[in-house]
Amino acid sequence: MTPDPTSDSESQLSSAATERRWQGLAVSEGVVVGRVLRIHRGTKHVYPARIEVGDLDQEQARFRVAVELAKEQLLAIEARAEKVLGPEQAYIFGAHRLLLEDRKLIGEIEDEIAAEQANAEWAVKVVGDRLLARYAEIKDDYLRERGSDIEDIIHRLLEALSGERPRYRDLAADAVIVAEDLLPSAVAELDLEHARAIVTDAGGWTSHTAIIARGLGIPAIVGLGDLYPFARTGDEIIVDSYHGAVLLHPARQTIAEYRSAASQVDTQPTASPQGNDATQTIDGVNITLRANVELPAEFKGVSQYRAQGIGLYRSEFLLARPGVMLSEEKQYKAYCEVARLAGDQGAVVRLFDLGGDRSSVAGDGEGNPALGLRAIRFGLTHQSVMRIQVRAIMRAASEGRLDIVLPMVADVGDVRRAKKIIAEERKKLENEGHQPGPVRIGAMIEVPSAVTTADKIARVVDFFELGTNDLVQYVLAVDRSNDKVAEWFRSLHPAVLASISQTLEAARGAGIPTIVCGEMASTPAYAVVLLGLGAIDLSMTPAAIPRVSRVLAGVDSRDAAAIAAKCLECETADEVEELVRHQFLSLWPQLFSTESLPPQRD
Amino acid sequence: MVELTVAVTNKLGLHARAAAQLVRTANRFQSALRLERMDGSASADAKSILNVLMLAASGGTELRAIADGQDEQTAINAVAALFEAGFGEAKL
Repeated sequence: MTPDPTSDSESQLSSAATERRWQGLAVSEGVVVGRVLRIHRGTKHVYPARIEVGDLDQEQARFRVAVELAKEQLLAIEARAEKVLGPEQAYIFGAHRLLLEDRKLIGEIEDEIAAEQANAEWAVKVVGDRLLARYAEIKDDYLRERGSDIEDIIHRLLEALSGERPRYRDLAADAVIVAEDLLPSAVAELDLEHARAIVTDAGGWTSHTAIIARGLGIPAIVGLGDLYPFARTGDEIIVDSYHGAVLLHPARQTIAEYRSAASQVDTQPTASPQGNDATQTIDGVNITLRANVELPAEFKGVSQYRAQGIGLYRSEFLLARPGVMLSEEKQYKAYCEVARLAGDQGAVVRLFDLGGDRSSVAGDGEGNPALGLRAIRFGLTHQSVMRIQVRAIMRAASEGRLDIVLPMVADVGDVRRAKKIIAEERKKLENEGHQPGPVRIGAMIEVPSAVTTADKIARVVDFFELGTNDLVQYVLAVDRSNDKVAEWFRSLHPAVLASISQTLEAARGAGIPTIVCGEMASTPAYAVVLLGLGAIDLSMTPAAIPRVSRVLAGVDSRDAAAIAAKCLECETADEVEELVRHQFLSLWPQLFSTESLPPQRD
Repeated sequence: MVELTVAVTNKLGLHARAAAQLVRTANRFQSALRLERMDGSASADAKSILNVLMLAASGGTELRAIADGQDEQTAINAVAALFEAGFGEAKL
């Protein structure tokens, strides 16, 4: 990955260019006005040169130095990746180092230099192309895609040979990363902590780009199709993830509008100095704002943004990417760390949400994975996995406050079976001399059958957690990662709002709390609608907490309730959005601009 | 020289992570270690990650492991154990 070397010379042309808009999938929120930093992972331009026989030794020496340099870089990258992304993502760089130590690869390049009297760059390229061609013939999809590892190594060697130290560490303060796609190594190499936003042509909700950006709390839009070929480093760019839009060469007027909107949305200080964490609406309703976390990179956000505990810990990250099951001891340590992070308010650990598209641990070959053996169904089927996890959680719960939430339960039956397993493991732990801590058990309400029977489920659990992302997907029967049906994915659909309302009511009836997690809670306008429906406990990506807190503190919950009641009467998502736009702008012009509200649709 | 049939039991096959484990193990021994497809269509030096990757052994593939040298028996046992454990990954 390097900044495109050809791009700077062309940037002068851009001032004359006209504004152009791309639509993509917003995977991390925010609005940013900045300048393009184009990152490409293509091959460098390499030219052949004939080396005199007398100079070949020197050329071989130059190559060996480059190999050593590349190895050193990989060691540093591995260490950094381990810190930012965790050990399960970092292993790949160890494999890259092994490649550089491989006599077969290094020897082939040295032979090429000697036999063809080739310069080292050319030899690296020729050998690399040869290997990639062989890789391209591999029939197994997964293994064939690993060709990118070879590509990565070749590119790294060429860079080491050019003597360029990676220049891309110092990002300009307003850098917006534009790439075809981001490899995990980008996180390790780029000083992404200074990036303002990331936009890519490829990628989906679960792409590296998405996970990384959410971890860093910066806006990201993926699946833009063909922005990359048009963008040049230095071009002005606006990233508006509330509308899934990227604007290249924005007009002065557009920039001015966005600058004011962005300043309202984004420049909120990260924490209130007085350290008062509670958010209260104008009419005195206390709102709890918790953090959703998954990656180690997100952990610091919990205290930085003053989350009131962790409302959702997505434990799947603990599993090694290609499906290595973590031991009870390692999980125990991880949960202790999560409990420590969460502090007095505690953390809710979601049991592994495996299966479906989420992990390779589950068997594939399911025709319809979203409706297949995933989440709690996976746990109830592969009980050994679930038993190890609940043991680790209960042990860690003696060190700090931890609760368990069961993902994707369909009905009371799922809850009963899971609770039985948890109770059995508690007994076993006690018999083994452990002292398992108190753990409350909650149900994720995210499928229609759970919504319809929420009153019954509420009687057998300690709390509800509303996972709005999956709820929207299942209630509307829309795959959120499928661009073709994106226009049917409507969080403000009356059916979704009715489901949320019914769930909240069931919980209130049974006297149990409900935490609303999912992307809806992290969008201020949606958070106000949720408040109107009766949600007072929200969990979101940590970086969203300040802006959601500020907006909720500026509204009267009775106004929100009146609007929500009207939303429930609407016939279509369009009507709801129109109502929200109109009402929010007239009631709270100081809190919302048209840019921070659902966009008008054609 | 000793020979043994091993099967790739992890779901993802001999991808970078699994291959790296195999190569690190193979390099601990003095013996030469080879892996061959049963039909003889391809073979790899188990000490070369590049070779092992190029073998493109997906989950379920059977391979012939051949060790030759002073510590051939311990070497082949160590390699076979890795395959049996599915490289510590999810199995087929």
